[in-house]
Amino acid sequence: MAGGQGTGRSFSFKVVLLGEGCVGKTSVVLRYCENKFNERHITTLQASFLTKKLNIGGKRVNLAIWDTAGQERFHALGPIYYRDSNGAILVYDITDEDSFQKVKNWVKELRKMLGNEICLCIVGNKTDLEADRHVSVQEAEEYAESVGAQHFHTSAKLDRGIEEVFLDLCKRMLEVAQVESSRADGTSRHGTARRGVQIVDDEPQGQGGSGGCCS
Amino acid sequence: MAAKPVRKGIHVDHSELLCKKGCGYYGNPAWHGYCSKCWREEYSKARHRQIKEDRELAERLQKEEEAAYASSSSSSTTTTSRPIAFSKFEEKKTQEKARKVNTVKKFFTTSKTPSKRSMLLCCPNNFTMVRQHSVESSQAAGEFQEFLKLLRKPAAQDILKRCRACIEGIAVFILLPMFSFQPFNNFAFAGSLPEQVEKTMDNVEKYIMTRLYKHVFCPESTEDEKKDLAIQKRIRALHWVTPQMLGVPINESSPQVIDMVEKAITDIIEMDSKRVPQDKLACITRCSKHIFNALRVSQNEPASADDFLPTLIHVVIRANPPRLQSNLQYITRFCHPNRLMTGEAGYYFTNLCCAVAFIEKLDAQSLSLTEEEFDRYMSGNASPRRPTQEPSSLVDELSACPVLAPLHTNLLDLQELEKQQCQLESNAADLDRALVAWDGSVAQEVANVARKLPPKVQASISSFPLLLAEVAASPSGPLDSEVEDSITLPPPLLPQPAGS
Repeated sequence: MAGGQGTGRSFSFKVVLLGEGCVGKTSVVLRYCENKFNERHITTLQASFLTKKLNIGGKRVNLAIWDTAGQERFHALGPIYYRDSNGAILVYDITDEDSFQKVKNWVKELRKMLGNEICLCIVGNKTDLEADRHVSVQEAEEYAESVGAQHFHTSAKLDRGIEEVFLDLCKRMLEVAQVESSRADGTSRHGTARRGVQIVDDEPQGQGGSGGCCS
Repeated sequence: MAAKPVRKGIHVDHSELLCKKGCGYYGNPAWHGYCSKCWREEYSKARHRQIKEDRELAERLQKEEEAAYASSSSSSTTTTSRPIAFSKFEEKKTQEKARKVNTVKKFFTTSKTPSKRSMLLCCPNNFTMVRQHSVESSQAAGEFQEFLKLLRKPAAQDILKRCRACIEGIAVFILLPMFSFQPFNNFAFAGSLPEQVEKTMDNVEKYIMTRLYKHVFCPESTEDEKKDLAIQKRIRALHWVTPQMLGVPINESSPQVIDMVEKAITDIIEMDSKRVPQDKLACITRCSKHIFNALRVSQNEPASADDFLPTLIHVVIRANPPRLQSNLQYITRFCHPNRLMTGEAGYYFTNLCCAVAFIEKLDAQSLSLTEEEFDRYMSGNASPRRPTQEPSSLVDELSACPVLAPLHTNLLDLQELEKQQCQLESNAADLDRALVAWDGSVAQEVANVARKLPPKVQASISSFPLLLAEVAASPSGPLDSEVEDSITLPPPLLPQPAGS
């Protein structure tokens, strides 16, 4: 179930939102899907599962955005959430060094569990609080590049940079999906098999790494 | 760390992926964690013995069942009339296919499908399980045939044929995955709308799963039942977990919220009674919607996963849904994967899986308690709802019990109402008295005024008996005064000619 199924010209992608509590995951996605911030007349009952339809270069894309519980106690449940997802948006708060460390842990885990097939976006939220910045721009951008992720700065409050995050992620997911489908023409089950092997290789490290993060 | 996935999907633990014997090959959960070779070695002997035992058991059961069936059909005619015509037809078909089934069996035993039960089902003389359809099965069969009538004829026949073959196939090989719908696209369904294909698939799923429910739900070849009991026991042991410990942001004192939480609990319990994976998913979705409603009332903003997951865990702990693991496994195995992975229902299902995984692994740290506290609560020696000392006040104790708290507030409200009622009554009495007094004073006033009024006016207000009596007492007085008045008046003006 490699995701990104395309029937004809339309693709559906699953994107998980990861990050510590209070970094503004919910605000980012609400701003994107409803273009609202902390307002009374937000129509949706919940902000944990939202969908968005896009059209990128004539290809219809259905995004399903899965919010995850950010509390530390639920960290171990991550794999259940992000399995089979095509993309992940990792949100941190630029005023909170700790939340950036959490993002690093998530990236490590995702790369180990899902390999390179998942597209990552690292998002530094709350740029409206630039004066309180505790995570340096250079450090964040260098880190993102080193793990093959895109880095963005956003402000859900001022509606800055949010559209770009999702657009870039969609484009990259489309590329991956197309490469995959062209490869899957001959041996469709091969892709999944390879994916399984990757997990086996890295699982022990994953246990070590996250043991550290939980302490 | 990585939570051991509740479902055996693509991502499983490392230890589960390698053969348990350590030969270096990958194992398979379906082979109890062995690789194909080790599994064959390990189980071929045991299986042969098992087959023998199963066959004996099956024969014995068969005899018992036949005896029971004979006695029930002789005692009442209503039971015999239940299997409808369609079922009888099925029975004939099944017998026809018996030989075919056996050949398929051989094919599958070489591929080491670990369904001991399949052997039992394959015994050619054991058809009772297929023959006696439950009410639901008959109903589903009827509905499905109704649906097929709406389709084009060749397509309908094709589907029916496939479904029957599939039912017979799956009834034998329990772990066989749902048959592929792919052929529909290029077979009879070429040129159909995607919606129609989707709808057909839903109906096919409904029909097949209703018919096969008994065989594929919590099958004996898996450990689902053991897991059911384990999670049930676990949840029972965790009855003391309060919403505060989980960080549930709902306001438990509001009757509206309580009502919605109750509804969510009902929905999640109801899941077990449904047969079709879609219906089970719908129950989970309804439960989640109620939770979101409760959160909305409590918080007045759209709920995020940060709020939703703890609340769902709280609901699951309070509900302790029957056969929870079996239901999750059943949905994982038989629901259409697309729906499970991308749709909204899939999201809620994933959250439920998370909730269950969390409950299984829950420890002192995840509830922000100390180890000692956690152990004491788990052993039942203490309860967070009842402090170790005697409750200092009634309110303390009441606040500990979520059911009694609203009762208590209601009682207080009633007392307040009663007080207000008393107050109201005494006020009413006061008012009554005041009215009587006022009445008297008004009558007095009127009498006083009337005494000074001319008799014509007096006559017009003759309705006052008091006044009448007074008038009757002094009939000449007013008349005299009128005469006196007319004397003091100036003489009337006389008309005078204008020009004089």
